[in-house]
Amino acid sequence: MKHSVGLQTAFAAVAAIIAFGCSDLARAETPSWCGPKKATIALLDGYGGNSWRQVTTASGKQEALKCPSITKYEYADGQGDTQKSISDIKAMAAKGIDALVVFPDAGPAMLPAITSVYKSGKVIVPYRVEAGGKAGVNYTRFIGASFKNDGENWGKWIKSVLPQGGNLLFLSGPAGNSQGLDELAGLKSVLGPEYKFLNPEPFDVTNWDPALTQKVLTAEIAKNSKIDVIVSDFGPSLVGALPLFKNSGRSIPALATSDGNSLGCFWTDVQKDNPDFKLFTVATGNDNVRLAVQWAVASATGGKLPEEDVFKAPVFENSVSGKPHAVECRRDLSGAIYLSAELSPEDQEKAVNSK
Amino acid sequence: MNQTLNRTMVLPQLRHLFPVPRARSFATVVISTLALIVACLLFAPSSVTWGALSGSLPFAAIIAIVGLGQLLVVQQGGFDLSLAGGVSLAVVISTHYPQGDNALLLPAVLIAVACAIMAGLANGFLVSLCRLNPIVATIGVNALLYGAVFAVSGGVPKTTTTLLTAIAGGQTFRLPNTIYFALATLAVVSFVLKKSVAGRRFEAIGANPLATRAVGLHVELHQLLAYVYAQILYCMAGVLIAGITREPTAFQGDSLLLPSVAVVVLGGTSLLGGRGFPVATVIAAFFLNQLSQFALAVGVPYSAQTIIQALALGFGIGVYSVRWTGLAIKQTRPT
Repeated sequence: MKHSVGLQTAFAAVAAIIAFGCSDLARAETPSWCGPKKATIALLDGYGGNSWRQVTTASGKQEALKCPSITKYEYADGQGDTQKSISDIKAMAAKGIDALVVFPDAGPAMLPAITSVYKSGKVIVPYRVEAGGKAGVNYTRFIGASFKNDGENWGKWIKSVLPQGGNLLFLSGPAGNSQGLDELAGLKSVLGPEYKFLNPEPFDVTNWDPALTQKVLTAEIAKNSKIDVIVSDFGPSLVGALPLFKNSGRSIPALATSDGNSLGCFWTDVQKDNPDFKLFTVATGNDNVRLAVQWAVASATGGKLPEEDVFKAPVFENSVSGKPHAVECRRDLSGAIYLSAELSPEDQEKAVNSK
Repeated sequence: MNQTLNRTMVLPQLRHLFPVPRARSFATVVISTLALIVACLLFAPSSVTWGALSGSLPFAAIIAIVGLGQLLVVQQGGFDLSLAGGVSLAVVISTHYPQGDNALLLPAVLIAVACAIMAGLANGFLVSLCRLNPIVATIGVNALLYGAVFAVSGGVPKTTTTLLTAIAGGQTFRLPNTIYFALATLAVVSFVLKKSVAGRRFEAIGANPLATRAVGLHVELHQLLAYVYAQILYCMAGVLIAGITREPTAFQGDSLLLPSVAVVVLGGTSLLGGRGFPVATVIAAFFLNQLSQFALAVGVPYSAQTIIQALALGFGIGVYSVRWTGLAIKQTRPT
C-alpha cells in the first residue's frame, strides 16, 4: 500500500511537471505581439492574381494564426479593380472584423476608405504601397518596405564585383513606380559616377511583363555593346529575356535582382556557358506581410507592438561568395515560388496550386 | 485613244501575272515601313541589327497572327474583343496542363484548340444568329474566357515546357521559328481568301451581306465561321507566346488587343467589312513592332515612346481617311 501511494505520488509529480512544462511551451509559442483580447482579422489584397501574392497571402494567414487570440481569418481579392478593393474594405468592416491588413495597390485612391474604417474604431494597417495619410489620423500604422535598402544592397554587391566601375542597365515595372525610384536612389547612394546607367532616366519600363521585358532588353542589347550588370527588381521576369544575349553571341552579364525559383534554376542551367553571369538576389519580400499582420494583431489583441515598422528585405543569394546562400534551385517545385520566403517551399507550392 | 485601249487591255493581264495586292493600303503600308526602316538606319541603327531583329521579330509575328484573326472578323463587319481572353486561355492551357512535361504538350495544344473552337462558336452564334452587337457579344465571351483562365491557372504563371520553348523560341536557318508560323498563316489565309470559292464568297458576304443573301449564299454560316477562324489563330498566337516568354503571365493577351485592331486598320481593311488585305496586315504588324523597337532604341523616355507610337498610328489612320483619289480627280477635272 505504501508502495502504491509512493507510486501515485510519483505519477502525480511527473504529471504536474509535464503539465507545467506544456503550459510553458504554449506560452513560449505565443508571440509577444499576440495579446489576450479575442479578435478577428482580414487580409485585403488589391490584386491577388499572381504567385507572389498567393505566397504572400498564405504567409499572412500563417502569421495571423500563430496568435491563439485570433478567432477568424478572412481574405478578399480586389482583382485589380479599385472600386472592388474599396467595397471589400468597407464590407469587411461592416461584417465586424476587428483588424484589417490592406495591400493598397491603387495608392491614394484607397485612402478615404482606409480612413473611414480607421475612424470607425477598427485597426487598419496598410502595407508595402503608400496610400498617403498619417498614422494615428488615417490608419493605425503603415508598414512600408525599404526598397532603398534593396538598391543599396545591389549597389554594394556591384561595387564588389566591379570595383573599377562599369555600365549598368536598370529595369523596373510601370513608368514612375515608386519602388523603382526608391531602388534607384539606393543604388545611386552607393555607386559613384564611374558606374554609368545605360537606360533612359530613371529606368527601363517593363511593367514587370515578361514579353515587354524581352522587347526592352532586345533593344538595349543591340544598342549597347558593353553591359556589365543588369539590375532588375523582378528577377523571374528576366528568365525568358536573358537568352537574347546568346543570339548576339555574348555572355549574360552579372545580374542583381530579387529571387525566384525559376531564376535560380535558370542560373544553374546556363552559368557554365556564360562566364560573366554572376547572380545576386535580395528576398522578394513576401514576409513584408508578416510584419503588417503582427502590427494589426498586436493593436487588436493588446499585444506588444513590434519595434520595426519598415520591412527590410534580407540579402538572399550570392553566386560569388555563396553567402548568405549559394544560388538555390528546387527542380521538384514550380518556378513560381520564392525560396527566400519564411513559408516552407511545400506550403508555397500548395498556395500557388490551390485555385 | 489607242493608248487608253492598250492600258485597259495590258493592265489586267499584268495584274493576273503578278497577283500582288494593288490597293492603296498596300502601297501606304509598304512606303511607311520603308520610311521607318530608313529612320531606324539614320537615328537608331541598333534597332535594325540582326541581334535586335531576331529578338523582336517573334513579337511582330505574334501581332501578325492575331492581326490576321482580327482581319477575318473585321471583314464580316464584326469586331472581336475576346482576343485577349482567347490568347490568355491558350497561354495558360499550354503551360499549366503539361506542368513542364513535354509528353503532355500535344494534348495541351489540342485542348487549347478545342476551347478556341468553342469560344469562336459562342461568338459566332451570338453575333450572326442571335444578331447581338459584336462588341457586346465578344466582351461577354471574353469575360467567360477569363473565367476559364482563372479556373485553369488561378492567375498564376507557370514555366513553359522545354519542347515548346524550343519550337516557339528556337531558330531555323537563323530565323526565329515564329516567323515561319506567321508566314504559313499568311499563306493559308491569303490563298483561301483570294483563290478559293469559299474565300471569295466570304469576302463578298463581308462587302454586301444583303446582296449575297439574295444570291443564295449562307451569310450567317460564313459570319459565324469568321469568329471560329479568328479564335484558332488567337490560340496559335497564345501557344507561341507561351514558348517565347518561358514564364508568361496569365494575362498575356491583354496587350495584343489594340495592336490587332491597329494592324488591320493600318493594313487598309475597312472596319465596315468587305475586302481584306492579309499581306498589308502582316507588313503593318512588322511596322508597328519595329516602331516600338525604334522608340526603345532611340532611348527616349517612356512617355515619349508612347507618344511616338500614337502619332504614327494617327498618321497611318489619317492617310486612309483623306480621299486622295477624290482630291486628284478634282484637280485634274477640266473646268
